[in-house]
Amino acid sequence: MPSITSFNLAHVHLLLNHVPTIGSVVALGLLIVAYIRRDEGLKLVGLEVLFAIALLTLPAYMTGVAAFQKLRGQPGVSDTAIRLHQDVALYGFTWMEFAGFIAWVALWQARRHGRAARGLVATSTALLLVSFVVMARAANLGGDIRHPELGGTAATIDSAEFLAAKISNVMVNSPWAWPASETVHFLGLSLSFGVLLAINLRILGAMKRVPFADVHRLLPWGMLGFGANLITGMLFFVGQPKQYLDSAPFYWKIVFLMIAGANFLYLTVFRKAWTEHPESRWDATLADKAMAFVSMFAWLAALYCGRMLPFIGHAF
Amino acid sequence: MGILVWLESLPLSVWVHEGTSVWAQPTVLTLHTMGMGVLVGASWVLDLRLLGISRNIPLSAFRWVFRAVAISLAVNLVTGVLLFMARATLWGTAFPFLIKILLVVASAATLLPIRTYVLQSDPEQRDASSRAKMLAVLSIATWAAAITAGRLLAYTVAG
Repeated sequence: MPSITSFNLAHVHLLLNHVPTIGSVVALGLLIVAYIRRDEGLKLVGLEVLFAIALLTLPAYMTGVAAFQKLRGQPGVSDTAIRLHQDVALYGFTWMEFAGFIAWVALWQARRHGRAARGLVATSTALLLVSFVVMARAANLGGDIRHPELGGTAATIDSAEFLAAKISNVMVNSPWAWPASETVHFLGLSLSFGVLLAINLRILGAMKRVPFADVHRLLPWGMLGFGANLITGMLFFVGQPKQYLDSAPFYWKIVFLMIAGANFLYLTVFRKAWTEHPESRWDATLADKAMAFVSMFAWLAALYCGRMLPFIGHAF
Repeated sequence: MGILVWLESLPLSVWVHEGTSVWAQPTVLTLHTMGMGVLVGASWVLDLRLLGISRNIPLSAFRWVFRAVAISLAVNLVTGVLLFMARATLWGTAFPFLIKILLVVASAATLLPIRTYVLQSDPEQRDASSRAKMLAVLSIATWAAAITAGRLLAYTVAG
């Protein structure tokens, strides 16, 4: 059921591929200005932007793999050049997710204690810098794919030497790697689900006498599940990209994940529940409740699309 | 064995197993997974609280967990029975499946004393007894084992 074709996705990649590089420059700029001005508020804005970029880097990478499938074998397109670009992008993605994770911890802490630990902000800035350098190289290599006349190096590299190929090899050929990752993926989804259920039910009116700050305390456990599922999910995707690329539920799953991720950031930083009613009994407005509802829906929908992959799509 | 063959031959079982409709096996399986997420997730959140995470929340505020658990347990009982019926001769004779069911029963069993403890706790009570903490550890471990066993069924028995 390829309702979104690989062709369109190659175009989407040409849009999204700017997010990790240009987005990093914006986030880095914000953080550097915040350091110079000693502006704690601006630091948090920088970290929020960083988290959003880390989210969008996921579809940027995935649409890139789709574009690869579209381009491979075409005359004038070097397979090695694409694989090299893809591999460097995978390293950049990994650095970016680390940066986004540390940024999230800093944001969570800042919401609770008024400010984030200096070490965390510095670490996420440093990780962002590294991922920017790696992503810039990936972007440069990406340019070589269509413009070999600009003097790119299309060296001959054994295709089994690439990181993506190595991961894929383990995921496909190891008897336990795929089942073990699936198991962790299910444990992770349950943990995220439980935590978000508690927080959203608080917003919807259960546990009304509990201050929001106290359910907010649970968020890192949700992040733990989310992180475990990002890692195992990427192992599936890098392991067997083709079974996801022309699968409609997979794209919807990523769309719902982006909504869920944005909501996760909002739940982490939103101010209302803390300042308006400092001593507890915060009553959510209708808009807040609608958001909680959307959050639960997005998580359930992501799960639905994932579980439906073998049926509507053709993953195993 | 005869009863398993009979179960599997029921029109409902055949529909779940062989039906091409998206409402057949795909939806039943997906509901089973959603139920799992809510059931285990809600249990784990309460277990974490009993173990001292988010200490400011009184135990009695977690009454909603038992409603969520009851609903999701009912969903998973119905969908689980349907999935069993669809391939009764396979599941009914597979030892790993028996392990999974025992783990699910053990996990659900830890919820009963935890429920009694939380419902009878003082409205402002925040600290859990060491017995409740032990139950929480047991509950976390048995649910994790049940999910692991269930997931591996796809590779050992049905694979």
